[in-house]
Amino acid sequence: MKTLLRNNNLKVFFLVFTLAWLQTGMVVAQPIRVVATWPALADIARQIGKELVNVESLATGVEDAHGVPVRPSFVPRLNRADVLILIGLDDEHSWLPALLEVASNPKILPGRPGYIDCSLGISVLEAPIRIDRAEGDLHPKGNPHYLLDPVRAKIVASNIATGLTRNFPQHQQSFEKNLKTYVAELDNWIGRWEKMAVPLRGVKFVDYHPEWIYLADRFGMKLVGSVELKPGIEPTPNHIVELVQQIKQEKAQLLIYGAQNPRLPQQIASETGIKVVRLYSGGGNQPETDTYIKWIDYTVRTLVQSVS
Amino acid sequence: MMDIFSGRRFLDVICFGLLFLFIAPRLSFAQASELESLRASVKDMQQQLQKALNRIDQLEKEKANDSAKIGQVEKSIQAVQSAPSILNPAIGLVLDADIEKLGKAGGNFNFRSAELGLAASVDPYARMYAFFTGSNEGFEVEEAAAITTSLPYNLTAKGGRFFADFGRFPKYHVHELPFVNQPLSIQRMVGGESQADGAEVNYLFPTPFFLRATFGGYNKIGADNEQVSNLKPRSASRFTYLGRLSTYFDLTDNNSIELGTSLAYTPSVRLQGDASGGDRILGGVDLTYRYQPLASTLYQGFTWGSEFYNNSQRFPFDIEVPDPDDPSIVTTQTVGKRRRSYGGYSYAELKLNKNWSTGFLFDYAPVVDNPSQRTLSYSPYVTWNLSEFNRLRFQYSYLNNNFSADKAEKGNQFFVQWTTVIGAHTHGFLTR
Repeated sequence: MKTLLRNNNLKVFFLVFTLAWLQTGMVVAQPIRVVATWPALADIARQIGKELVNVESLATGVEDAHGVPVRPSFVPRLNRADVLILIGLDDEHSWLPALLEVASNPKILPGRPGYIDCSLGISVLEAPIRIDRAEGDLHPKGNPHYLLDPVRAKIVASNIATGLTRNFPQHQQSFEKNLKTYVAELDNWIGRWEKMAVPLRGVKFVDYHPEWIYLADRFGMKLVGSVELKPGIEPTPNHIVELVQQIKQEKAQLLIYGAQNPRLPQQIASETGIKVVRLYSGGGNQPETDTYIKWIDYTVRTLVQSVS
Repeated sequence: MMDIFSGRRFLDVICFGLLFLFIAPRLSFAQASELESLRASVKDMQQQLQKALNRIDQLEKEKANDSAKIGQVEKSIQAVQSAPSILNPAIGLVLDADIEKLGKAGGNFNFRSAELGLAASVDPYARMYAFFTGSNEGFEVEEAAAITTSLPYNLTAKGGRFFADFGRFPKYHVHELPFVNQPLSIQRMVGGESQADGAEVNYLFPTPFFLRATFGGYNKIGADNEQVSNLKPRSASRFTYLGRLSTYFDLTDNNSIELGTSLAYTPSVRLQGDASGGDRILGGVDLTYRYQPLASTLYQGFTWGSEFYNNSQRFPFDIEVPDPDDPSIVTTQTVGKRRRSYGGYSYAELKLNKNWSTGFLFDYAPVVDNPSQRTLSYSPYVTWNLSEFNRLRFQYSYLNNNFSADKAEKGNQFFVQWTTVIGAHTHGFLTR
C-alpha cells in the first residue's frame, strides 16, 4: 500500500479528479440546448427556436461527411444537449454513434424524444436496390445529401419544429409561428432560385462523390458520371480514362466537387476543358454560407455563374 | 343584303352609323379609365392563372417523380426487411493474415485471426457486444460485455469480459492498431491486450471539456497474464482495481491533444511458493497529438502517440540457502523479489492521401522480472487502404535485445499484412 501511495500516477489521478469535481459546481444550466450535427441544420433550428434555443453545431461544414473526426470535445456538448438534430439516413454513421456511446445522455439516443432525425418524410433519392459493399460505400437508406434541395428543407424545418414541440410542448405556438414564417421565407427564396437557375436546366455535369444529386434534381441538371469508381472508392486510372471520354462524348459542362482533393478534378479539367467548381456540401463554413438560405443562394449563384 | 341598301332603310342605317360614330368616342372616353383598369385586372388574372398552371404542372411532375422514387425506396425497404430476422444483431467478420519473415527463424504464412463481432441493443437500458476470435492458438471469447445506456448522473456501467480501460493501445484489438504487431512493451508489461473479466463504471464529468474517469474491478488485467487465473475464487485483496482519467483538448480547429493516466492496483498477487505474495502496481500515461485539417481529413493528417508504463511487482525467484547448522548443505527456496520496470512506445504516422499513410514506431520493452534486460525495436511501415474495409500493410522491424533472445525475436523482420472486413464492424469510441 505504501508503494501505491508513493506512486505518481495515483497522485495525478486524484488531483485531476478533485479539481474536476469542484469545477462541476460552476456549470450553469441553460435553456433548450440544441446540438445539430451540421451548421445548416443548426441554422434552421435557430430559425424555428429563435430566442428559446441555444444551438451548437458539431461539424463546421468544411468536413467531408465521411471524415468528421470523432472528437471527444463533442462529448460534453452532447452530454448537455436537450435535443440532437441530425441528417439521418446514416449520414453521420462514421462518427456520431461512437460519440453517443460515451455521452451519457439517454435523452438523445436513437428512438428517444430528443433524437430529431430530419430525414423523416423526405422523398429519398438513390435508395439502393442491391445492398452490397461491392457497390461501394453505400447508404442503405438512400442518398443523405437532401439538404441541398431547398424544397425538401421545408420538410426538415417542419421535422425540427415537430421535434422541438415533442420535447417542449409549452412552446408549441412559438415553434409553429416561427416555422410558418421561415417556410414563407424559404418559398420566397425558392421562387427566386428557380428563376435564377433557369440556365442550369439540362446542364450536364460530373460529380466527385454523389452529393449533388438533390440539387441537380431540383434545378434540372443532368449527372453523366462520377470521379469516384463507386461511392467512397477512389478511382482507378482506367476509370479516369473512361470518364474523360464520357465527358467529351456527353459534352459535360461542369465538374462539381466538395471536400475532396482537387488534384483529380484539375487533371480531368486539363484533359477535357470541363469547368471545375468547388462547392460546400455542408454550409456554414464561410461568411457567404453561414445560414441555410445564404448557403443555397451561394451554391445556385456559383453554379449559374459557372455556366454563363 | 339588297334590302339594306334600298330606300328609307338605307337612310336609317346611315343615320344610326353617324350617330354611333359621333357618340361612341365620347362614351369610350368617359369609360376609358374603367376599361383600362378592367383590362389590367384581366391581364393580371391571366398571368396569375398561367403561373398557377405552371406550378400545377411542376407539382404534377414532382409528384410523378416522387412516386417513382417512393416505389424505389419501398423496394429497398422490402429488401432490407426480407432478411431472416430484422432483430438479429449487427454481425461483422475481420480476417487478419500476413506473410512474415522473422529474422533467422525464416518465413511463414501466418493466419493471425478471424474475429467475429456481434452487437445490438438488449433493451432500453443496455446494449451488448461480443468478439469471438479464432487463431492458430484456438478459439477464444475475446470480449462479451453488456453496457448500460440509461444510468443517471453521467454514469455508464459495463460488465462481462472486455478490454479494460487501461492506457490507449492496450485496449485495441491487434488488427485495429496502426502497425502490424502489438508493441512488445504492451505485451510484456500489460500482458497483451487489457482483457479483463470484471466490471467497470465510467463517469463523464459535466465539464465544458472532455474529462472521463473509469473505475474497475477485475480478476486480472492482460489477455496473456498467466500469473492469475480467471477460474479460482479469491479474496477482495486479490482482485485488480483500476482507475483512469482521460481528457482531450482542441488546440485549434485542426490540432488536438489527448491525455490519459491509468493505474491498475492488485493488493496481493499470489506467488507460487511464497504465501505472502505482494502487491502489483501497473501505471501508465498516454499522450496523443493529432493534426487533422478539417477540410481534408480524408486526405491529410498526422498523429503522434506515446505511452509510458511502469510496473512494480514481486516475482518468485529460486535462491540457494545454506543450512545454518551445516553450510555445506544448500537448499533451494523460492522467494518473492520486487522488480520495477519502465517501458513504452512512441509512434508517428503521416497520412499521404486518402489511401496511403506511413509511420514509424519505436518501442522500449523491458523484461518485467529482470528489468536490466530489454528489447529496443524500430519499425517503419506503410499502409495502403484500398477501401475502408480492405487494407494492406508493409512493415520492417529491427529488434535489438541486450540478452540472448529466441532467433525469431531478434534482428530483421518483414511483414506484409492483409486485413479485410465484411459486415458491420466497429470497436466504438475507445478505439476511435
